[in-house]
Parts: sequence; structure tokens; C-alpha cells
Amino acid sequence: MPSATMNPTPSPPALAAEGRVATGPQVGRSLPRLEAREKVTGRAEYTHNLRLPGMLYGKVVRSTIAHGRIRSIDASAAKAVPGVYQVVAGEDVIKVIPHPYYGPAFHDQPILAIGKVHYVGEPIAVVLAEDPHVAETAATLVVAEYEELPAVYDELEAAQNRVLVHDELKPAGTFADLKHLKGVRGTNIALDYQLRKGDVEKAFAEAAHVFEHEFRTQKVLHLAFEPFVSIADYKGDRLTLYTASQGPSFVRIEIARLLGWPENRVRVKVPFLGGGYGGKLYIKLEALVTALSMIAKRPVKVSLPMEEVFYTITRHPMTFRIKSGVDEHGRITARRCEVFWNGGAYADIGPRVAQKSGFTASGPYDIENVSIDSYALYTNQPPAGALRGFGVPQLVWAYESHTDMMARALRIDPLEFRRRNITREGGRHATGTPLEDAAVEKVLEHVAARMNWSKPFDRGTGAVRRGRGLAIAIKAVISPTTSVAIVNVNADGSTTLYCGTVDMGQGSDTAMAQIVGEILNIPAESVNVVPRDTDVTPYDMGTLGSRSLFHMGHAVKRAAEEARDKIASLARELGLPKGSNYSVADLFQKKYGMQAGNIVGAGVYKPDYVPPQPGTGLTPNVTPFWMVSGVGAEVEVDTETGHVRVTRLLNVCDIGRPINPKICESQISGAATMQLGFTMFEKMHFDGGQVTNASLADYKIPGFHDLPAAFENETVEAYQSNGPFGGKGVGEVATFCVSPAIGNAIDDAVGVRLTELPLNPEAVLRALRAKENRPLEDA
Amino acid sequence: MTPFELAEPLTVADALRFLDPDDSTVRPLGGGTALMLMMKAGVFRPTRLVSLRRIASLSRITALPDGGLVIGALTPLSDVEHSTEVARRAGVIVRTMRRLSNVRVRNVATIGGCLAHGDPHMDLPPVLMALDASIAVAGRTGKRTLKVENLFAGYYETVLKRDEIITELHIPAQGGRRAAYLKCTTGSADDWPALGVAVSFEAEGSAISAPRVVVSAATEKATRLNGAEAVLSGATIDDALLARAGDAAADEAETISDVRGSAPYKRELLRVYVRRAVRQAFEAERPLSSPPPLAREGREGAQGGAH
Repeated sequence: MPSATMNPTPSPPALAAEGRVATGPQVGRSLPRLEAREKVTGRAEYTHNLRLPGMLYGKVVRSTIAHGRIRSIDASAAKAVPGVYQVVAGEDVIKVIPHPYYGPAFHDQPILAIGKVHYVGEPIAVVLAEDPHVAETAATLVVAEYEELPAVYDELEAAQNRVLVHDELKPAGTFADLKHLKGVRGTNIALDYQLRKGDVEKAFAEAAHVFEHEFRTQKVLHLAFEPFVSIADYKGDRLTLYTASQGPSFVRIEIARLLGWPENRVRVKVPFLGGGYGGKLYIKLEALVTALSMIAKRPVKVSLPMEEVFYTITRHPMTFRIKSGVDEHGRITARRCEVFWNGGAYADIGPRVAQKSGFTASGPYDIENVSIDSYALYTNQPPAGALRGFGVPQLVWAYESHTDMMARALRIDPLEFRRRNITREGGRHATGTPLEDAAVEKVLEHVAARMNWSKPFDRGTGAVRRGRGLAIAIKAVISPTTSVAIVNVNADGSTTLYCGTVDMGQGSDTAMAQIVGEILNIPAESVNVVPRDTDVTPYDMGTLGSRSLFHMGHAVKRAAEEARDKIASLARELGLPKGSNYSVADLFQKKYGMQAGNIVGAGVYKPDYVPPQPGTGLTPNVTPFWMVSGVGAEVEVDTETGHVRVTRLLNVCDIGRPINPKICESQISGAATMQLGFTMFEKMHFDGGQVTNASLADYKIPGFHDLPAAFENETVEAYQSNGPFGGKGVGEVATFCVSPAIGNAIDDAVGVRLTELPLNPEAVLRALRAKENRPLEDA
Repeated sequence: MTPFELAEPLTVADALRFLDPDDSTVRPLGGGTALMLMMKAGVFRPTRLVSLRRIASLSRITALPDGGLVIGALTPLSDVEHSTEVARRAGVIVRTMRRLSNVRVRNVATIGGCLAHGDPHMDLPPVLMALDASIAVAGRTGKRTLKVENLFAGYYETVLKRDEIITELHIPAQGGRRAAYLKCTTGSADDWPALGVAVSFEAEGSAISAPRVVVSAATEKATRLNGAEAVLSGATIDDALLARAGDAAADEAETISDVRGSAPYKRELLRVYVRRAVRQAFEAERPLSSPPPLAREGREGAQGGAH
């Protein structure tokens, strides 16, 4: 980048002088993050700080209606503002990109609205100016007229197909299970995933007890502290994008497709991210700035204020209808799951959420008869996509609440009920894939022991009642996906790693450097991890879904091993005896007669995978690893106000062998804290498709005062046999169980069951009052 | 936000000259913590802001011989929070500060600004109303004095004219009065309150007199609750009295629905919080010779403690 590059990695001697180098084993070290100093001293590079010569700023003009045809866009007043360079609308985009629709699953999202708008906040025009304040002022003067159409906001209503969001479905063609939707009209269903195992109807008929419940989750969003920002610099036959993206390789492929270019003419540079959480995947502002730079023939930057983040991408709200049959011994014999995902106006990665998480909807339970239907639905809301957990936290909210409701109805202790039904090591998941290296039982027993579950519990007195709850869950990693890495050993023996995993705060650069250090027997601190740049760093599917440590970790390990082997063969070629103490630098010196040359190792990793059978969803290998976690929660409920205080939150995770235990712990506590906000109070409020709390003043996330007094983040002893050094992903695993464990604890405390998130004080008080038969009047 | 003119006068008289009675885009600027949010949201687009920060005479805290306090309007909230005189003479203000926004805001926001803004979610206005505080207001035509309880005209509206500035806050001597403020949040602990309740009264043994009960945040503006005050006035404190006071408050207040809760829910909160606030004021500032405390009930301000 023109502004600043990463500080060169200090040499090992310099580091040793500071006492910062640890030799010996690198995997398992709680090494502080390599970039920590850069970040806390304000030197780390972010896209927001970057300015290019001649750059224009774009300010987005957004739709004020949820669904309608665009009659006209009048930009004359905006264009008259002194300093405005240009106002761009959809028709201008078509002139430079004839088919300006993008998306990972469907090519449904226009760069700027064309003909119709599909949600409040959809970009309809952009004002360009050298001064961002001028662009902002002028943007308020753009006037659009619409012919309003009926809108549909709720996922269950959308499934009725009475109001249609899109006239025709446009799958991207990359996913086999979406091909049958090409050109389909008259539907809002962007994916209808099915799993069929056994015969649920027969099993329900034979069951001693049948339970059926419905759960819902609200619309929430990522709120990374760095909002979306992208810069495009179009130079006729080359394009450089500087962008806060979790998936630079996808961005390059998709932009090249939109332009009809080979990949090597598009360069995507990604510095550190100020958080991502799944929001910065696929295309967000990248296609927009590309079109704007092509039109203006100047570099263009668009950086969203926090308020506009609310109209960009969110988590999926969901309705989950779950029905289980239980035999006289308290064994679950059948389960039917119907899940409706509210994907908003554009599919983004929603169909993958519906399938790749949908297949775990029956939970970590050994159930003979399972039927799952998981529907990705279009609605006239801001689009929904990936968010830390990829749908699984919503599913677990439902199935682990359902588990407790059944246990209570059957008068079986919730722990004991789970013990009777969990899938144990070596058993099979509903898809037919074996549950290997998945510590379901171990995690459950760890939670039970740490919660003193068998001991009496103080239930509180007076207005404040106490309760406790637990939950357990699994998730698969999205599969099959590919990572590529390059390790370059320089002539002085120093080492450089090229990998496309984006360090967005999760500490991946540090973990990858530890893997290189372990293989090459050098301190991790001495490894230079090159910032993401698709001209330099090789392909990676994306930093998402807890896949990086496993997939990229393997690729990095293989690249380092190849480099190590090449060093060994160089030593042999030079006639050195095995085990001689020549340094790497000495080898290069001996080979080339001077400090010269490189040794380059490359590694590729793609796990084995067997696609699910169409119709049944069954497969012997649906995922290369399972994520498992459990939560124990203790709460105090103020029965007069509905306030719930989480006094203890115990997170227990199976993360295999931690590569960097300290970073793993902060991933667990961070994920649980984020989920605590989604559980207790976070909610995007809507009025006619308009978000009424689209700012950090009115949409609150947890602060330090919201953390439980006892907040314990633990792992069980585990080893992922097919993982790099026994490790596996850790970014999402602590999100799964927080909501149902707290919901179950509330029920335990005061005997009311909430079936919709968030569990805010009003919802609790309303439930209490309804139970007492003196309901609070409607709002 | 778009560029604007920033004036930094050194005297009140100069500040008044920069203001414009006919132009809503010209406003005085105190700490700016609230105004900046409005500007960022595009709700307020100023052409000129008149910063009062350089007017040194407006940021002093003075202890009056009669037990009262005079606090300059530009005094940062953190100065008030850490003033031993304020702690001694109106301790409820110091207790309120602990959960008022956050330390960054308190270091910048001013005591006059939180009144002039007219935002019903602010924590101090109901407390100052309960303490029967008044403000000195300077305008081009002269000065006037106003009770804080008469300052608010509606949602984000005050009776101040566009070319008037609050210069001072006067808190009368509280004598043996007891006071409490309870803040109820329904989102994060540091969210704006869904409800604020401030109370103050005199107590002789278990008998309450001259009560002042104020609701904020849940209503269009901070409002005294005369019905609840009437219930408490001259009565002997016990559980039944507290329940009646809470009921009177709930009957009387016109709560409004927003993202922090529905109107019916806030009415229930008010019922509980008036009861708890009176109890807390009675117990927290109880002289040593008073009767033993009432039976404990639900914890105050469940999301982070009481004040």
C-alpha cells in the first residue's frame, strides 16, 4: 500500500535482546500476538487510513422504501452542489459492467438498484466528490420516486409466496444443490434443504410422548468496530482493490467475473481488519467501488458510517418448528425439524447457512429417525449472511430449549435426559457421518462437574429467584474448501509466510507463524507473515466458519515441511553429512557463493468429503471435524421487573489441542460475550422495513458491566487426529450454547419459558405475568 | 457531517452576540457529547456553534454559607462527581454520576448542557428537580432565574430561547432531606435508561414530609409525580404506603413506547422503582437513631446496582 507497509519483522537477535524469543517447541505457546505492539501504538495499517492520490469519496444514497419500482432518480440538485464530481446510478453502472449482479450463491444483488428496490437502505445512487463532506451534503439532495409494492418481512409469511421479493431466481451456478432453482419464478425460497433418516411419522405414532415447539430469533448484526470500507483504483486494464475483507480470493474471483477479466488483472489487498465476524465476507462494497472507479476513472473510496452498517448485512432471524418423539425410557426416537431462515432481500451466503448448518438441526443427539427441512427465504429486509456460528447459535437456541422443555415435562433431570440421548464418540450423526474426535460426552460431564449439578442449589428469596441451566451443541465446518500457503526461506535463513487467511483480530497470523516455527525449528516471532495481497498471497477460500486453523494450518504446515525437506536435500546435494550443524544461511552461501537464493515450499489442503445424497442429505463424510461446546449458566431473575442477571457463565469447548492457548481462551470469551448480547438484549427494531435503532446510541452491545460475575472459559483435553498438531477451529464454538443455557436457567428460576430471543426484561416480565394470569397489556 | 463555523467567545456577553434568535442552525455548544451525536445522525446540521468552553467564569463550584451550592453551567460532570462539597451537600448527585454514561462522557459533558439539551433520558435533570434546583439564564435582554422543574417543555424541548444561555445551577440547602435516584436500563448496563426515578423528602422517624418524586426517560420529559407525592406526604413509611405510592405513580405517568420497552412495561417498572427509590432514600440516608430497616425486597437496578 502507498501509505505504509507492515513494519519489517525484527531479526531474531534483536528480538532475543528484548527477551521476546522463545526457541524450542512453538505449538502450544501462549505467544502474544505478533501485531499487538503495532496495534496498541496506532501503527497497524487499516483500509480506513489509506488515501490514494486523486481519490474521490463516494456517499451512498439509499432506498427509503422496502419494495417498489424506481420511477425516477433526480440528482440535479445534488449535481449543482459545488465540488460534486458526479452522481452515479444503476443505469450508469450497466454501461461499464453490463451484468452488474453479484453474490456467492445467487447472482441476485445489483451494484446499485436497477428498476426495483428490495429493502429500505438498498443503495440506489452514489455521489462522488473530492471532499467527503460535499458528497455527504449532496447525497441528501438526491430525490427518488417509487411505485411502492407490497413488502414481506416475516420468514413464515415469505414461505407462503403471496408477496414475492424477486421475479425470478438467479443461482450463481457454483453450488450443485441450487441448480434446480435457476429461472424459477413465483417463490421466495432460495434453498429447500432436506435430510431424511428413518421414518419419523411411524416413530411419532409409536412414541410414548410427543413434544412440539416453535422458537424464533431476532435480527442482530456483527457490528465490527471497523465499518465496511473499500477503495478501487481502476487503471484501464488493471484493477487494485484495497478492502476490509475476510475473503480476498473470493473478491478477486467475483470481481474478475463481473469484469470478464482473468484473475491476474485484479489485485486485492487486505491489511488488518478491525473485526469481521462473518460480515466482511463475499462482496460488500468491492463491486460498488470498482464500478465507481471505472466510471470516474479515478480511485474511489467508500467508507460507511456505523449507521449504514445496519443496512448492509445482518444475522439470520429464524423460526424453528421442532417435534420430538420420546419412548418410555426417556430416549428420543424421532425428531422433525422445520427451519425457516429470514435471508432478507439478497441471498448472500444464506442458502449455505440453510444447508451447512441446517443439517445439524437435530443436535448432538443419537436419534434413529430424523427429518430436517431447512428453507432459505427472501424477504424485504436488509440481507442476512454469515455471523459467527453460521446459523448454529439460532438452531441450538431452539433445540436445547426444546431438550429442557421435554426433560421438565417428563420429570427427568435435564442433565440425565441429555446423558440418555447424546451421541457418544464413534456414534453417527444424523447425516450418517461418524462423530469422531467430538467430545460431546466429555464436554457435558465437564459442565456438570463444574456446575456441581448434583449438589443442592440456592434458589433465592423474595423478589429475586435463582436458577441454573445447561446446553450442549455441535457444529460441522463448511466443506469441502481449499487453502494454499507458501513458505519462503531467504538466503540468510529468515522466513516469510504467504497465506491468505485474514487476521481480523482472531490472532491467525500468530498461530500460522507458530506452525511455521514448529516445523522449521525457529521462533514464531521471527516469521514474517505477509499481509494479504492476491498478487502475492495464494488462494484461500476465506477466513470464515472456524476453518482457518484447520485448513490453512494444514497448508502452512505442508508448505513449511516442503521447505524443510528442500533444505535437507540442499544439504545432501552439498555433500554435508546428516545432522551437520551448518546453518541455513551457510547452505545458501555454499551453494551460491554469496548470500543469494530462496527455498520455497508450497502447501495445499483440501479435506476429503462425500456430497450428501440428494433428497436424503445422507453422507458418510460431511465434515473434516466437529466443533463441540457446552454452557452452564446461573441466573438471578427479578420477578418484579423481569431483569435477569447472569451471575455465572461457564463455557466448555472441545477445540482439539490449542496451538496458542491464550488466544484460544480470548476467542472463547469473546464469542460467548458476543452471544450474551444477542441473547439478552440486542435486537434490530423495524418499522415498515426501516431500522429504528440503526446507531450505536440505540443499538447496544455488551460492555464490561454486562459480563457475568463468574465468567469461566475452559477447554476439555482433546486431540483432533486429522488436525494440524491436533488442533481445530475455535472462533465460533463458544457461541452455540449461551442462549439456551440462559433460557433454561430462567425457566429453572421462575418457571417461565421464553421461546423468542432476546430474553430482555420486558419479555421475562410479560411471561411471568401471563403465568400468574394477570397479563401485561399489549404494547 | 458538513463543515460549520465554530465561535469560541471569552465572555457570556460575547457568546450571546454570536447566537441568533431566528436561526435554528446556530446553537451554543457545551461539552458537545449530545450535539455531536445529533450532528452525526444528520438530525442537526449547524451553520454555527458557539462554544462556551473558554468562558472561565462558568466552570466553578461554590459552596454557599446557607448550605446550598452554585455550580457553573460549564462545569464538567466529572468535576461535580469528584467535588467533596457536592458529596457532602447533595450526595445523591455523586451517586448518580457513577452510572451516568461513561467516564469519557463525564469528563467532557457539562452540567448546563445536560439541562439545556432537553433529552428526557438524561440522569441529572430528574435528580436536580427532586432537589428543587434552579438555573440562572442569561439573554440579550438580561438575566432570569428558572426552576429546573419548569425548564422542560416537551421531548427535547426547553423553555429557553435560542439566544439564551444557562450560566449557573443553584441547588438549595438540603438540610436533613433524603434522596435517591434509580436508573433502569433494559439493554446493556451502559444503555440510556428506560426509566429514571428520583425522589427526595424529609423524614422524621418513619414519617415522610415534603416529598418530591420525579420520573424521567419513560416519559416525554422529566416530570414530577404529584399523585405519588400526595400519597407520601405526611404518611408513615411502610410496605403498604410504598405500594400505594408506586401505584399512584403508575396511574399518573404517561409512559411512551420505544426500543427500550413498551409503555405498559415502563408503567410496571415505574410502579416498582418508585417504591424502591423511596425505600432506598429512606434507608440509605437513615440517621443512626432511626428504626430498623424494612424487610428486604428485590434488588434495585438489577443491571448493575443502585444509587
